[in-house]
Amino acid sequence: MTVRHDGRVTAGAVVALVLAVGLAAPPVYAQAIPPHPTDLSYERLSFTAPVASDHRHELTNGVVGFVVEDHELPLVSIALTVRTGSYLDAPDKIGVASLTGSQMRAGGTTSVSASDFDEQADFLAAQIGSGVGGTSGSANLNCLTKDLDACLDLFFDMLRNPGFDEDRLALAKSRSIQQMERRNDATASIEGREWARLMRGEVHFSTSSRTRPGVEGITRDDLVAFHRRYYHPGNFIFSVSGDVETAAILAELERRLADWPVGTEAVPPVPAPAFTPRPGLYLVDKADVNQGRVSIGHLGTTRDNPDRYKLLVMNDILGGGGFSARLLTRIRSDEGLAYSASSNFGVGVYYDGVFRAGFQSRSETVARATAIVFEEIERIRTEPVEEEELSNSISYFVETFSRNFSSAGSTAGLFAGDEYTGRDPAYLAAYRDNIAAVTADDVLDVAQRYLDPEQLVIFVVGNLEAILAGDPEHPEFSLEGLSPGEVVRIPLPDPFTMEYPNP
Amino acid sequence: MNAGTSYDYTIYFVNVPANKLELWFWMESDRLLNPVFREFYSEREVVHEERRMRTDSTPTGKFQEQFDALFWQSSPYSWPVVGWPSDLEGITREEALEFFGLYYAPNNLTAALVGDFDPAEAKALAEQYFGRLRQGDRAAPQPRTREMPQLGEKRMTAYAETNPAVTIRYHGVPDGHVDEPALVVLGQILSGRTGRLYKALVEEQEVATNASGGQAGYKFEGMFVLRGTAKEGRTPEEVEQALYAEIERLKTEPVSARELQKVKNQNAASNFRALRANFALMNQLLVREAYRGWETINTDPALYDAVTIEDITRVVNTYFEPENRAVAVYYRQESDEAPDPRLAGLDAQERQQVGQMMAMMQEMDAEQLGQFVAQIEQMGAQAPPENQDMVQAVLEIVQERLAAAGGGR
Repeated sequence: MTVRHDGRVTAGAVVALVLAVGLAAPPVYAQAIPPHPTDLSYERLSFTAPVASDHRHELTNGVVGFVVEDHELPLVSIALTVRTGSYLDAPDKIGVASLTGSQMRAGGTTSVSASDFDEQADFLAAQIGSGVGGTSGSANLNCLTKDLDACLDLFFDMLRNPGFDEDRLALAKSRSIQQMERRNDATASIEGREWARLMRGEVHFSTSSRTRPGVEGITRDDLVAFHRRYYHPGNFIFSVSGDVETAAILAELERRLADWPVGTEAVPPVPAPAFTPRPGLYLVDKADVNQGRVSIGHLGTTRDNPDRYKLLVMNDILGGGGFSARLLTRIRSDEGLAYSASSNFGVGVYYDGVFRAGFQSRSETVARATAIVFEEIERIRTEPVEEEELSNSISYFVETFSRNFSSAGSTAGLFAGDEYTGRDPAYLAAYRDNIAAVTADDVLDVAQRYLDPEQLVIFVVGNLEAILAGDPEHPEFSLEGLSPGEVVRIPLPDPFTMEYPNP
Repeated sequence: MNAGTSYDYTIYFVNVPANKLELWFWMESDRLLNPVFREFYSEREVVHEERRMRTDSTPTGKFQEQFDALFWQSSPYSWPVVGWPSDLEGITREEALEFFGLYYAPNNLTAALVGDFDPAEAKALAEQYFGRLRQGDRAAPQPRTREMPQLGEKRMTAYAETNPAVTIRYHGVPDGHVDEPALVVLGQILSGRTGRLYKALVEEQEVATNASGGQAGYKFEGMFVLRGTAKEGRTPEEVEQALYAEIERLKTEPVSARELQKVKNQNAASNFRALRANFALMNQLLVREAYRGWETINTDPALYDAVTIEDITRVVNTYFEPENRAVAVYYRQESDEAPDPRLAGLDAQERQQVGQMMAMMQEMDAEQLGQFVAQIEQMGAQAPPENQDMVQAVLEIVQERLAAAGGGR
C-alpha cells in the first residue's frame, strides 16, 4: 500500500475500482481471457524471508532484543516477552500470575497513581498493556514516534515499579468473580473448558481454574512477590518494530535497563500433564439450545517432531484447509449439516498438542455429522490422498508462507517467540522445502501412525435428549454406536468453586 | 477467502499471493458473470446452522435480536441480517438469482485492492475482466421505508443466562450526518478506562463493572448506545439511573478542554493505526464507499478534529430525551424451570447445585434413579447440619421422579 507520512491514503497502489456504468466502447484486450483458470500463467513468486540473526541484538547485560524497522507510518511498537506464566501459580491461589500481569498496567506505579497513569497514557494516545498467560508474560507499547520518550518513561516505570493500587485490585477481583458466574452460560465456553479437562486431566495448570475463595484470598503482597520474583532483565526478550533507528533504540534500552540488576534465579520448566485421555463419549446437557457443539480427538505431538510437516499437510486435507478440506466439503457443502467444521493437529511447544475435529450442528443431526468425521478419519488412514489435494495443500502452505512476515511487528514477534521457546530459527529457511517434499505416501503414513480411532474422545454439549434421539430419517446414526469407549455424563460444576457434583 | 453481510453491504474478500492477482480477476468476474448457485439448498441449511450458532444457541443472541426488532419501528434495520427462521426455510434458488441479478450488477459493485501490485496492471486487468459485466436492467432500489420518530420510551425485560446488565439506545443520526462527528467524540469521552462512565459508575459509585457508550451510524439511520453491567449486589436499574445521571450532567456542564484534546490526540494516532494492516484498509475503503465514498477516509479526520465543546453540549441536548430511547434490562435466569418451592430455603449456590442434579436426573431411567436415591441418602448421613436442607430437597425431588418413572419403594 502507499500511504503518505501524513496518513492520507493516496491513489497510488490503493485502487478503488468503482465499476462504473456504461463502458460503452468495448476495451481493447491485450490478451484474450483464457477459458479456464488453469490456463493462466503466473510469474514465479519470489519471496525472501527475513533472517532472525539480521535483527537479533544482545545488550551488554545479555538481554536479547529484535529490531525490525518500518518507516512507513510514524508509529513505534515495543513488545516484551517475560519468562513466567500462570503455570507458576500456587494451586490454592490460582490467578496471582494473571492478576500480576494485568494489575501492573491497571494499578499505577509507586510514584504515579493508577488514574494519573491511565490519564497520561490516554492523553499521549499510547497503547500500553501487560499480561501473564499460561507459559509467558508480555508487555507492550504502541505510540507515535514523536511521543516515544515520554511513553517509554511510562512503560519502564510500569515494568519496574508497579504500584498495584489496592482499589484497582479489589475491582479486578470483583470482576473476576463476576466472570466466573458466566462459566456455564455459553455452550462454547463449556465446550472449551471440558474439552481441555478431557485432554489434560484436572491436575495441570492448563485446566486449573480460578475459584471464588482462591481469588478472594489473593492480596497485593502476592502480586508484589510474583512481580519481584520474575520481572527482571534476565527474564526479558524485547521485540521492537516500526519507525525507529536500530542503533538508537538499542541505546535507549541499554540506558533504561542499566541499573536494573539481572536476576539469576532459574524459572522452573513448564510441566507436562501427567494424564492420558480416556476414549469414550462424554456428554454435557444444556437443554435450552437447539444446536450441539462437538469435539472429537486425542493427543497430538510436539513441535520438534520431524513428522510435523507431513502432519500439517495431512490435517490440511482432512479438515484444516477450509472449503477444500474433506470435513467441510462433506459436512457443509454436501450435506448442509454445519456452518463450520474443521480439524487441527496440534504440535505442542512443551508437551504433546491435541488433535481435534469439531463442528456445530442442530441437535437432530449431531450423530450423522459425527459419523462423517469418523468416516473421513478412516478414509485418510486407509486411502492415499488424491494428487490434486496434495498439490493444492502444498501450494497453499508454500505460497502463504510470506504472511508470517506481513508486518514488521509480526516478524519481530515471530523471532522473539522462537527465541523464548528455544527454537532454532533455521526451520524458517527450510520450511517451504520441507512442505514441498511431502508425498501422498507420507500423508498415509502419518495418518496411520498419528490418528487412532480407538483412542478418540467424543465430547458433545447441547440438548442431550434431542441429540441422543438423533435424526428420525437416519436412525442408523447414533453417538453411542460410534463411541470407542464408555459413555460418561459430565455435570456442570459450581461456577464459583469449580466443584463437580458427584451423585 | 470469506464473505460477510452487514445491514448495508456485503463484502467478499480474499488474500492472494502477489503473483495470483489475475487468478482473482478470473474467478471473481466469472462468479459475477456466470452464477450457478450449486448446492443452494444444502447451503440454505448451512445458513440456518449459522443462525443457530450465533443467535439461537448463545445466551443473549435471541434477546439482542428481539431488542433490535423492538427498537426499530418501521426501518428495515429491525430485521436480523441472517434472516428469520421462516424466511431461511422458504427462500428459493430462483429468488436468490433474482436478487443477484438486481444487486450484483456492476453499477452496484465496488472493488478495492490493497497490497503489493502494479496499479496500472491492475486497472488493465479490471477493464479486461470486469468490463465484461453487463449493467442491470434497472437500478437496484434503495429502501423506501424510513424510521418513524419515536414518541414514547420502550422497554424490554429479559431473563437470560448472563450477568445483570442494561443497554440503552437513543434514535440518532446516520453515517455522515452533520452531528455525527460530535456524537462519535461524545462516545469517546464517555468510554474507555479514563472515560466518564468508567470513572463514575465503576470507580466512584461502584455500581457497575463496566460501562461505555458510543455512536453507531448506518447508511440510513443511526443510534447512540449506552451500556453497563451491574456489579454483584447492584441492580441493572441502578446502572441505568447512573448512566442517565452522566448524560444529564453533560446537558448543563460542558466537557473540559483536556477531555476533548485527549480524544483528538487518540484520533490522530488511530488514523495511522487504521492504515497498518492491508485487510483493515481494504475493509474501510469498501465500507466507506458503500456509505459516502472512499475518499472520506481522508476527509473525515478534519471533521472530527473540528468538534468543539459547544458541539458536544448541543448534541447531548438534542438526542437524549426519554421518549426517544429504548431500554433492555437483563436479569440472570437462575434456572429453566419456575421457582421450586422445595428450594426456597436454599442459598443461590445450593439452588444451582440442585438444579444441575435435576438436569442429570432427567436422563436417568428408573434403575439409575433408584441408585441415585441410595447415594443421596448416604450423602445425607454424612452431610453437615447446614447442608441437610439441600439433601432433603434433592431427596424429595428424586423420589418424585422415581415414582414418575415407574420405580420406587
